[in-house]
Amino acid sequence: MNGDRPSEEKPYRRLETQTLLQQIAFTGGLEALEASENGNLAWVTSGFPVEIPIAMNVGVVYPEQAGAIIGAQKIGPEVCSYAEDLGYSQELCSYARASIGSTEKPDEVPMGALPTPQILLACNNICGTVLRWYDAIAEMTGATVFLLDTPPIEAEQLPHHQEYVRKGVQRLIQFLEDKFSKPLQDERLAEVADLSSKAIGLWTRSLEACQKKPSPLNCADRFLTMAPVVSSRGTEQCVDFYETLLAEVDDRVSEGLGAVRDEKIRLLWDNIPMWYTLRFFNLLASRGVVFPADTYTHAWSGSIEGVDTSSIIDGIVEIYSNVYLNKGLDAKVDKMCQLIKDYDLDGFIMFSVRSCKRYSLGQMVSKELVTERTGVPGVIIEGDMVDSRVYNEAQIETRVDALLEMLM
Amino acid sequence: MGTDLGIGIDVGSTTTKAVLIDSSGAILAKSLMQTGASAVQAVDKVLGEISSMSGINLENIPAVSTGYGRARVELPHRTVTEITCHSVGVHRLNPDIRLLIDVGGQDAKVIRIGPSGRPDDFELNDKCSAGTGRFLEVMARVLEVSIDELGLLALKSTSPSSISSTCTVFAESEVIGRIGAGDSPADIAAGLHASMTSKIVALSKRVSFAEPVCVTGGVALNPAFRHYLSKQLGTELWIPDIPQLTGALGAAVIALQGLG
Amino acid sequence: MSNEGVIEQSTAGLMQLVAAGEELIGYIYPHTPLELFMAHGLIPSLIRTLPQVPSGFEASLQTFACSYIRNLYSQRTSNQMPPLTGILFPSNTCDSLQNLGDIWRVRFPEDRVFRLTYPVTRNIIDDSTQRYLAEELRLLSESLTTIFERPFLKESYNRGISLVREFREGAKFLYSARVVNPKIISYSDVAQLVRVFLTTPTAAAASAITEAANSVKKMVTDLGIFENVESVMTALVNRDFENVQLPENLDAPRVVVAGGMIEPQALGTLIKDIPDIPESVITLDLLSFGFKSVFTPPLDESEDPFMEMAKSLLAAPGEPTQEGLKHRMIFLKDLLTNLSIHGLLICEQSFCDPDQFEAPSIERAASEVGIKTTRIPIDPELSDKARIEVRIQSFLETLTER
Repeated sequence: MNGDRPSEEKPYRRLETQTLLQQIAFTGGLEALEASENGNLAWVTSGFPVEIPIAMNVGVVYPEQAGAIIGAQKIGPEVCSYAEDLGYSQELCSYARASIGSTEKPDEVPMGALPTPQILLACNNICGTVLRWYDAIAEMTGATVFLLDTPPIEAEQLPHHQEYVRKGVQRLIQFLEDKFSKPLQDERLAEVADLSSKAIGLWTRSLEACQKKPSPLNCADRFLTMAPVVSSRGTEQCVDFYETLLAEVDDRVSEGLGAVRDEKIRLLWDNIPMWYTLRFFNLLASRGVVFPADTYTHAWSGSIEGVDTSSIIDGIVEIYSNVYLNKGLDAKVDKMCQLIKDYDLDGFIMFSVRSCKRYSLGQMVSKELVTERTGVPGVIIEGDMVDSRVYNEAQIETRVDALLEMLM
Repeated sequence: MGTDLGIGIDVGSTTTKAVLIDSSGAILAKSLMQTGASAVQAVDKVLGEISSMSGINLENIPAVSTGYGRARVELPHRTVTEITCHSVGVHRLNPDIRLLIDVGGQDAKVIRIGPSGRPDDFELNDKCSAGTGRFLEVMARVLEVSIDELGLLALKSTSPSSISSTCTVFAESEVIGRIGAGDSPADIAAGLHASMTSKIVALSKRVSFAEPVCVTGGVALNPAFRHYLSKQLGTELWIPDIPQLTGALGAAVIALQGLG
Repeated sequence: MSNEGVIEQSTAGLMQLVAAGEELIGYIYPHTPLELFMAHGLIPSLIRTLPQVPSGFEASLQTFACSYIRNLYSQRTSNQMPPLTGILFPSNTCDSLQNLGDIWRVRFPEDRVFRLTYPVTRNIIDDSTQRYLAEELRLLSESLTTIFERPFLKESYNRGISLVREFREGAKFLYSARVVNPKIISYSDVAQLVRVFLTTPTAAAASAITEAANSVKKMVTDLGIFENVESVMTALVNRDFENVQLPENLDAPRVVVAGGMIEPQALGTLIKDIPDIPESVITLDLLSFGFKSVFTPPLDESEDPFMEMAKSLLAAPGEPTQEGLKHRMIFLKDLLTNLSIHGLLICEQSFCDPDQFEAPSIERAASEVGIKTTRIPIDPELSDKARIEVRIQSFLETLTER
């Protein structure tokens, strides 16, 4: 056989739907630019009830996604260093550093510098860091920060918690109405909530299809295709995208085609990926390793029920408070065990992200608990999502190899 | 209030230095030796040497000590940090200098010198050895060359490797990766110097850059370090004739001036 | 007294209390409702970081956990914590403490762990934040009642209020007096008094502060600066510096310490140990266990206890974990300009997100009003002591530049 193998013989299958993503990203970029010029662009965190700004025709962009794009271009260290020059420590969240760095020097960042925001919408259900990050951006750009505070929940959401978050959502609506001088229309909100639920429903079905063997999607496929559901759920375009994705996934399932050509080992991935070397997953694919599930893309899967503004707000209050990152270690361990069971996984890899404390601290404990409860082995590897300076490839290889040797 | 003579003592982690100057600032005697296990003994020795060299009894001459062992000096004296002493010392040698970069075995300092010779602002490396001589020492060992050879080796590079980590631990594994990928030792050495100087450049941005720039400390003797630092800063570097003595000289000047 | 000495002294104090049959609830976050525990007949005791503790966190926490929580964890694994009946963790303050609470429960199931969840929202027009925290406090009170069979007693609550008030009144005066004349009482002495009370909040600890405040009151009256002190205290309480009056010819340099959960006592000892630096350069600290604990508003006995406690905690000087960066920076700039400050030491706990995020804003705010700053990364073990000393001394040298 000669050196160049035809593409269909790569160890993994390329997802056709991916090409649509570029289109979505391109249109999204243009719309954001336009919104910024028209004075109504919001930056939002991944766990924010984006349905409300979307229903009020506020343009939205998603800085965590921009961080991922900066990471994927392998310019993370440079862009982060612009933030470090301003005094932000290298130990801080690298999404935040990439965002601050690209706001400071947008011309040095080919892709991933976002248009100037008028408002910054943060919800702390994913971590406490988002508020401090957005406060920093507010100082740089003059945009106003709105925080939707969703305090962590122990076992269940109590009435006073619901009441507090509901007040927050009402203040959010008031804030947007005052800022852009237009009211929230009930019909439009219902429409957006419906579209959002549809998209989430379709996305969840694609995720669940990975329970099949071979798994139709691998980790990197999901990391890339999660973008629209996180940033633009509530739009027609988003629903269309997930319809196309689900169709491709269903095709793969019915034809028995796996994301990895020769699936041998099924693993769970925990945490944000290292965006600068998604190749990691492809290299493992060549050894028959697939990741049918991960904790990152399963973090956004609750769909809002509700028929009118009041019940939709109730749905928002419940769904956005109950994301598992807001529910502590037990919820995360439960989630991992459930995924391992439902997706019939052989083991797990936990990526300890140095600059993401909320997601990563506790992994040493949860690793033990998950193995205890499921009987499958796992390994912790350390690095960062954007800042490749703290990624030790040789060390990681050894650890992953050791795990695979246990499973082979 | 000025006096006729001043003594400056710089007790560093590696070497101890002493300088005796007269009221014109001229150096009457100087001494440098390894600090060794006892800073107190090293101080005694350097003071003994400048006393016998100059034939002057050091009693009652104002003295200022600096460096990590500054509190270990038994002579009546005041202590001033090496930041201020280096700044004053360099200013005495070249009053135009506005930015001083001092890179030693464990430390990296960037000092912005005010018009009077006193520091306006400064930045130090933290506990991590990124940007210090230690970084290069560790990397020389990985590349199996001596620390003196490392700089010369780097200058032979035609296409420097990209080393993104400034952290010693991570860079070490990156180097091993580059070796595995078949990069030449010269290219890796060049990449390491570029990475190390980028850490210094980052420190200098924190104090707001100013020119002209002076470089002191043991690492200043490394030609590749000077090359990459000069390139990344985009400016020429001025290096004093006696780079190891600027701290002690500054201390002596402060002793002479009676400032604190 | 050195930091170690004070730790030894407060540990001895705790042992005495336990020997006398008292039950201790350890807490680690500064904004804790002391009066609530006192109302249930329990003694709240602030658990401090220890400078010397064998490291024991490695099997449970990664190295990037902040140095504060690593120290707490290591204290627990090496059995160096005081004899506690329960421990209170804060929730919704910072990510590291959040996760530490979870990890603690798994690793030390025998410990009685309580949690108090704080709202992050500030500066809003409705009272939803207060009502949320009041309900959290009520729920905490309920579980204290059930678990310890010690009900909330109004009488004990009122006693708690007056005890804490006595502590705050005295400490506020000492803080304000030092702003006017930093030599009137040493920074370490004030830090020690505050620390002893927060560790063992007894009548004796409160009267020690009152005594110190009375003797300082006499000194400032004799010096004719009593009114200056009063004006500073009013300004710090109301966060409005319009009517501050400082005497002329203040000693220079005057330095303020900014930062979060850094031990004031450890900082005092650190500065004391630097040769040729008078401790009186520290004019004021803005630390969580110092200024922010001392300048928390008092409670009104006649109002609903839970709402009162919530209001007081929410009106304490702001933390970087809360909403309101802009307000904090305005306060800082006002303070620096109106209290004739020359330099600002920005302390940050190693690997502490909130401290490290706020530091660049503090640097910018200070530079806007022409105040020099330096950043001091610090951990409880003072593992980088030599370099920190050089930083502080060099910084003071840049301030005395004439």
